[in-house]
Amino acid sequence: MAIITTHNLSKVYNPETVPVHALRDVNLEFEEGEFTTVRGPSGSGKTTLLNMIGGLDTPSDGYVEVDGTRITGMKDRELIDFRLNHIGFVFQAYNLIPVFTAYENVSFIMLLQKWDKQKMKERAEELLTAVGLKGKFDSRPKQLSGGEQQRVAVARALASRPKFILADEPTANLDTDSAMNLLDMMEKMNKEENVTFIFSTHDQRVIDRARRVITMVDGAIHKDEKKYPPLKGG
Amino acid sequence: MKMLLSISWRNIWRHPARSGVLMGAIIAGIWAGILVSALTNGWIQQRFNNLIQEEITHAQVHHPEFLTEREALMYVDDAHEIFSFLDGDERVKAYAGRTLSDGMIQSPLTSSGVQIRGVDPDRERNTTTFHENVVDGEYLDSDIRNPILLGEKLTEKLNVDIGNRVVLTFQDMNNELTSASFNISGIFRTASTPYDERNVFVKAEDLQELLGDDIYHEVAIMLYDENLVDGVTEDLNESFDHIVAESWYELSPELRYITDMGGNLIVYIMGVIMLALAFGILNTMLMAIFERMKELGMLLAIGMSKLRVFLMIMLESVILTLSGAVVGLILTYFTVNYLGDKGIDLRSMGGESMAQFGFDAIVYPVAFMNDYITTIILVVVTALLAAIYPAIKALRLKPGEVVRE
Repeated sequence: MAIITTHNLSKVYNPETVPVHALRDVNLEFEEGEFTTVRGPSGSGKTTLLNMIGGLDTPSDGYVEVDGTRITGMKDRELIDFRLNHIGFVFQAYNLIPVFTAYENVSFIMLLQKWDKQKMKERAEELLTAVGLKGKFDSRPKQLSGGEQQRVAVARALASRPKFILADEPTANLDTDSAMNLLDMMEKMNKEENVTFIFSTHDQRVIDRARRVITMVDGAIHKDEKKYPPLKGG
Repeated sequence: MKMLLSISWRNIWRHPARSGVLMGAIIAGIWAGILVSALTNGWIQQRFNNLIQEEITHAQVHHPEFLTEREALMYVDDAHEIFSFLDGDERVKAYAGRTLSDGMIQSPLTSSGVQIRGVDPDRERNTTTFHENVVDGEYLDSDIRNPILLGEKLTEKLNVDIGNRVVLTFQDMNNELTSASFNISGIFRTASTPYDERNVFVKAEDLQELLGDDIYHEVAIMLYDENLVDGVTEDLNESFDHIVAESWYELSPELRYITDMGGNLIVYIMGVIMLALAFGILNTMLMAIFERMKELGMLLAIGMSKLRVFLMIMLESVILTLSGAVVGLILTYFTVNYLGDKGIDLRSMGGESMAQFGFDAIVYPVAFMNDYITTIILVVVTALLAAIYPAIKALRLKPGEVVRE
């Protein structure tokens, strides 16, 4: 069963003045455990698609369902709550809270979810260890390299035990070694913990590792290739 | 809430210099504002004490028309019965009868119009602190015949000194002019030079002898508790005919106005200062929001509620402002206490001219607990109001757009 479904998803920016069709009738299904890349040139609609799936933007037409729940049209408060409990985000610019340590950045989302203090501690330490940052729990973002910051961001995205993780150009600011290490780590999470990852990227290194590659052109799905089935569920 | 407090506190210190400058402005503003208020409070309190403790007392009894007509015949009926009444009233600390007359004082050089105040030295000493104003010579308990106490300013005007004679001329009970010579036994100086120039003190018995009867025009009453004054005046007015008993604020409404105004002064002064500081807070918070757009967008994206984001920004503003306020209040507390003890001598800055208006040239600032509490409330309200616009701006962020930029 698909955990994410988009139905005739369309987005038009500036409909009154100079209309820009960012998405055109996008119909997609994502299964649990997928490791999927959405590729395409700049302006092809990759990020817009991810924003729609993540409930960060509203479509002009069509709708998105996550786990059978229609998130399009939800009230702001419901949507924020939904994102908190169902979706993990990894951004191109890491977007960590600079005044928090790595440990606090990861546990922050669990604080919002009102986790038990001890369980939160165990989970945050477990995740930071899993992303290779044992010994750097107390480091602040500016004390970490770009690759390390993105690892903290991945740990943060995983902390709330989301249904899936949306990663927008996660490797764009990383050197090759850091990018490969990050991808290794995410692939491991995907295989071992069945975490669903959906990337938007035009980084060939990411595309090469994906098991499903969706190519977008001018806001429409140009190609949807499954290299081989996802590890579980798909 | 603990999480919000923690993140807000740390956010403040992202730019220590910027936050420090704002906190410095708040510290200076609070220090200056409360000090100005304390200075004025001190002046008002000294003025109040001078008038109440030295002259007016808490309540006075007069003939109903005496204060407007000031004629010798308008004396207090049954003064000795009133004295007995006051002797039996536990609320009354002390009282003193006064015989009053308006007249002329003459020295060999010149003359001047004066109010002649005939007092019973022992009773007056128990009721008021006026005797502490004697700067030269003795109070009226001198053994010399017809002693008179003159204000320093008047002695200068008449060109007289201790031991010299002056002549008082006034109307007696039969509306006949009468004169008598008095010997200067002492010189007084109050905080008010006009008062020193217009008033002379003699023994009530000497004045009564010249007026022709054992009469009192005024009974000054000092209470143990100033707040009981309305009850005492009511009882007197109900118990005696042909008199009017009035509280200090009825006798001197301007004094009440000044004390009332003094009570609200801190609100006006700090209100103006906080209005100016509000723009500083607004500017700092706006800068903080603009440079953190992406981060705020991320917080909204990952699931931090708008209410929490709003509270976080409000808390930042309140914590930042309160931190400065606490330091400012502590600094002010010690400054006011130090100056309240030592006093501020304004004589070198033209403070002597304040005596023309009845205010002391040496001021002892006074700040009340209410001043500090009012300041804290104003600081918090200002911080909240100044942060509303930046907080609303943050809430309008569209996370999808912001995190992508």
